Amino acid sequence: MGRDVSHETYSEVCRFYYKEARLFSEQDYRQWLDAMVDKSIVYFLPIFEERYRRDRKAEPEFPPFIYNDDFSDLDQRIQQLETDLARRIDPAGRIRHLITNIEAFEGEAEGEISTYSNFLICRNRREREQTILVGGREDRLIKGPDGLRIAYRMITIPQRVILDSDLYYMM
Amino acid sequence: MGIDLSDLVDTGGSSQKKRIHVDEELYKLELERIFARSWLFLTHESQIPNPGDYFSTYMGEDAVIVARGSDGEIRAFINSCTHRGAKVCSAEAGNTRAFVCPYHGWTFGTDGALRGVPVDKAGWGADLDKSKLGLTPVAKVESYAGFVFGCFDKDAVSLKEYLGDLTWYMDSFTARGGVELLGPPVKSVIHCNWKVPSENFLDGYHVGWTHRPALSVLGGPMSQIAGNVDLPPDGGVIASTKYGHGVGVIYDAAPGLHRAPDYYMWLMQNRPQVETLLGEPQARLYGSHIASTIFPNCSFLHGTNIWKVWMPRGPREIEVWTWTMVEKDMPADLKRKIQKEAMRGFATAGTFESDDADNFQSVTEAARGTVTRRGALNATLAQQYDTRSDVLPGLVSEFIISEAGVRGFYSAYKDTLEAEDWADIKRRRADRG
Repeated sequence: MGRDVSHETYSEVCRFYYKEARLFSEQDYRQWLDAMVDKSIVYFLPIFEERYRRDRKAEPEFPPFIYNDDFSDLDQRIQQLETDLARRIDPAGRIRHLITNIEAFEGEAEGEISTYSNFLICRNRREREQTILVGGREDRLIKGPDGLRIAYRMITIPQRVILDSDLYYMM
Repeated sequence: MGIDLSDLVDTGGSSQKKRIHVDEELYKLELERIFARSWLFLTHESQIPNPGDYFSTYMGEDAVIVARGSDGEIRAFINSCTHRGAKVCSAEAGNTRAFVCPYHGWTFGTDGALRGVPVDKAGWGADLDKSKLGLTPVAKVESYAGFVFGCFDKDAVSLKEYLGDLTWYMDSFTARGGVELLGPPVKSVIHCNWKVPSENFLDGYHVGWTHRPALSVLGGPMSQIAGNVDLPPDGGVIASTKYGHGVGVIYDAAPGLHRAPDYYMWLMQNRPQVETLLGEPQARLYGSHIASTIFPNCSFLHGTNIWKVWMPRGPREIEVWTWTMVEKDMPADLKRKIQKEAMRGFATAGTFESDDADNFQSVTEAARGTVTRRGALNATLAQQYDTRSDVLPGLVSEFIISEAGVRGFYSAYKDTLEAEDWADIKRRRADRG
């Protein structure tokens, strides 16, 4: 891990994440993709296996994931929401994103920042169905002419069995 | 309050009371009479290739361990110590020489036998007969095309006979180079009755409507069925088999939902080999999209490369476990691409699965109402097409937008619930073969 970023950069990173959390809470994924995501994005949410600490079986050769999206995958997911055909989100559900534990370090390349952050997402839909999801993110941000953009995001959710019927929302 | 089964499901399976999705008492009966008697999917041989490899799963609500012993044999046992009942294995998979109970340290081999107990001679003298205290075995464990199934009822028919006509459809994609599952499974909770997703994978009717959002942005030939604007261009067939399994085939539509041209090339390239091996009708299936439910709670999609189990967790909850299914001899790079497409459509953030899950919950939630649950569910669609075919095994509907598979499922459901034992199940299902 590189050195801590400057105060100025740290505050830019925080502003970036608070804006992102607001767009997520507004479910304005299009603006998020346009303004905050780099074309090279890998948006990744792997699953894990509950094994004994000293287990000797080889790791899975093709470990599964819930998200392994590139830019066009994310774009198509958002298009699917924009069709206005998805009855699952009509009436619209409610969602609130909180972001915390933000750490930011100089990245490996010039203009890159590596970050850790945690999130709490409260989603409420269909009268009274509510789930609270806590997780972490490891990002690589790159600094371009129009500000920061996400080039890599790995999401970890500390649940082996996901206690929600779908995770079709950005986090 | 008894359960009048004859009132719950009609003989042909075309009508059921909504109560079947919420009733506690009925759920207990399902666990006894369906889950404790039917063949249930455990794992695929490719997931436990070596001696000592094991996988923890459930049969109904019973926790079981499936293990490959040092002799290479695959066995399954109930994951509960024969001493004071704790689970002897808390990991979902791994490789081991023994399962050691965390409570008092009783140690069982990968063949389920009790190997040792702490304070053995000092505490019991010569009185502890270890040979009688092995983990309770699952009565039958058999494989078909590498898919390992277990059955708690020793009187059940063999797995091959249980799968019956379904094997003809499965062979189309398993017989050539074999298939494997890419694990571990993705797992999530859906608040629905287990039968709702099981019947859903036999339901060609919902695809155009529920999946309109996903299909309309996907492009390609399958997008024509978005909103039921068109029927699948090359038609299809629904078949149901003796013990309640069914398939829905959309002809020439693999890989319908994947943006994976190399997978299409792969299927085209290998189709002649399937034809040589099995003949033209099954070779055509190899290039088609096949959705299936293996009664009671295991579903798969060939062409979309998905294998699922809907684990019952009470009448109104399931865990869904999802694997990617690929052909063994595919290049690693193609397996990876297919896994990405399969997970994108049918894992927990699936572009298809998310819309399905919402419906599953809606059906279950609505049936909570006292008066609602007295009402009937209707599965009469396209009954006039139900027939027999010279080529295709099973009860067949050559109209893909049919509820023939749903009817077959509930007809077997009713018979399995009502039957006294396996001899009775066989008798009741004799004319369905």
